[in-house]
Amino acid sequence: MNPVVAGITYRALLGRRRIVLLLLLPLGLLGLAVLLRLTGNADQRYATLLMENFALGTMLPLLGLIVGTGVIAPEIDDGTVIHLMSKPISRPVIAQTKFLVAASLLVVFAALPTYLAVWLLVRNEDGMAAGFAAGSLVAGVAYAAVFLLLGVVTRHAVTIGVVYALVWESLVGNFVPGARKFSIQQWGRTVADQISTSVYLKAEIALGFAAPALVIATVVAVVWAGLRLRAFSLTGDE
Amino acid sequence: MSEIYDIGYRHYDGPRLGRGHATRALTVHTLRGVFGLGRTARGKIVPFGLVAIMLLPAIVSIAMMALLGQRGLSYSSFAVVMQAVVAIFLAAQAPTAVAPDLRFRVLPLYLSRPVTITEYVTAKVVAMTAALFALVAVPLTLMYVGELLVDLDGPPATKEYLGALATGLLLALLLSSFGLALASFTPRRGLGVASVITVYLLSSASVPIVYAMLESSGNDAAARWAWLLNPFWLVDAVQAWLFGSVPNADGDGYPAGPVSGVLVVALIAAALAALALRYRKAASR
Repeated sequence: MNPVVAGITYRALLGRRRIVLLLLLPLGLLGLAVLLRLTGNADQRYATLLMENFALGTMLPLLGLIVGTGVIAPEIDDGTVIHLMSKPISRPVIAQTKFLVAASLLVVFAALPTYLAVWLLVRNEDGMAAGFAAGSLVAGVAYAAVFLLLGVVTRHAVTIGVVYALVWESLVGNFVPGARKFSIQQWGRTVADQISTSVYLKAEIALGFAAPALVIATVVAVVWAGLRLRAFSLTGDE
Repeated sequence: MSEIYDIGYRHYDGPRLGRGHATRALTVHTLRGVFGLGRTARGKIVPFGLVAIMLLPAIVSIAMMALLGQRGLSYSSFAVVMQAVVAIFLAAQAPTAVAPDLRFRVLPLYLSRPVTITEYVTAKVVAMTAALFALVAVPLTLMYVGELLVDLDGPPATKEYLGALATGLLLALLLSSFGLALASFTPRRGLGVASVITVYLLSSASVPIVYAMLESSGNDAAARWAWLLNPFWLVDAVQAWLFGSVPNADGDGYPAGPVSGVLVVALIAAALAALALRYRKAASR
């Protein structure tokens, strides 16, 4: 962990237009939660609907994508990453620092609003708020790692990430049950289900698979991103 | 006076093709760029992969007509069913149409030619609209040709097919003007992709929640309005109003009357105005 690299990354992410996108999604979630509360629909069924459709299904992959690729892809695009890599800092440390920055931002912009939104609807009934917050926390960390790796590997990271989040996790997952086993979103749901005792929330994947999968995906992605950075070649834009 | 600067280069004495030709050339160039033609092989994977995914249901539908003698996907529901693919295409390719010119600050170079800002923006919108229309219309046409060849019982659904084509054009115009307006706010391609897909997902993920919420409080009339939050269902509402097609929304359809049409026109106008304002500012730098 290198504080200077972390500082630069925070400034690049929070100081530009990217922050509008980062705020838009959590505000949309909280807005829907307030709307549900005002119309008197603040029960567990709606909390689960809001969480599964919006928070875990839409907001989390998108935030993971924006933050995970945003910590490194713009620098590679600009070519400014060469200034960073020519410094005597170990490349794996650069990757780890960027991952920690991305993960911390996902805690602030994804896990906290998730907790707040559920709390607005049902307080912490049956541990729902804590469950969904924990689920989105671990899934957010895994997304950050995977999309960071994607940002290092390819210039089309955002497009490929969108295709993964929309086509694989939503479309294919709906038709082919087996595909759901390899979906970060479903792993997050499993963790949420472990903590919450609500009857509306049912995870499809056992914790015995989801927990190791989350850990392995995160660790492998961060280590691999570090290895890729060690032998990194700058190529021109198409 | 001009003699002073004439340092003896040969003058251009070929035909001057004028503004119209320049605009057309820019349109064709943008359209080729949207499909990755004239770019690297890696730039072609995403657009052509998405085109292939769009063609799959058409082929399955033709196979169903030929083997089982029944229609698969109806023409009017095609765009709504395939909306995620169309949205990904828009998000992935709209930034490639606008971002490089902004990023490398080449807009003043374009404007030093007879092309004006209005023509530049028109060329971009026309190219993106044509690309999206092709994405929807080619599978529809394939399905229609298949239906004519298979020769099902009863008359072919020509009216529904033409209605779907017309609304496909409207949908393409709405999506491309919105997508380009969003993508043109950043010179970075990745951020452009993310912002277009974010706005689409915000609109589509909130629909089922708002709908369920309003329906459960017994407000069925208000619940119908929830569908209009998403551009694909909004244009489907126009299709149901203009061509009398079966609504593709669950429950009991859309708000009656021309309100969806008015909404679409207003949204297109707003997006085009935003584009014009954005480029007036970008050109002055």
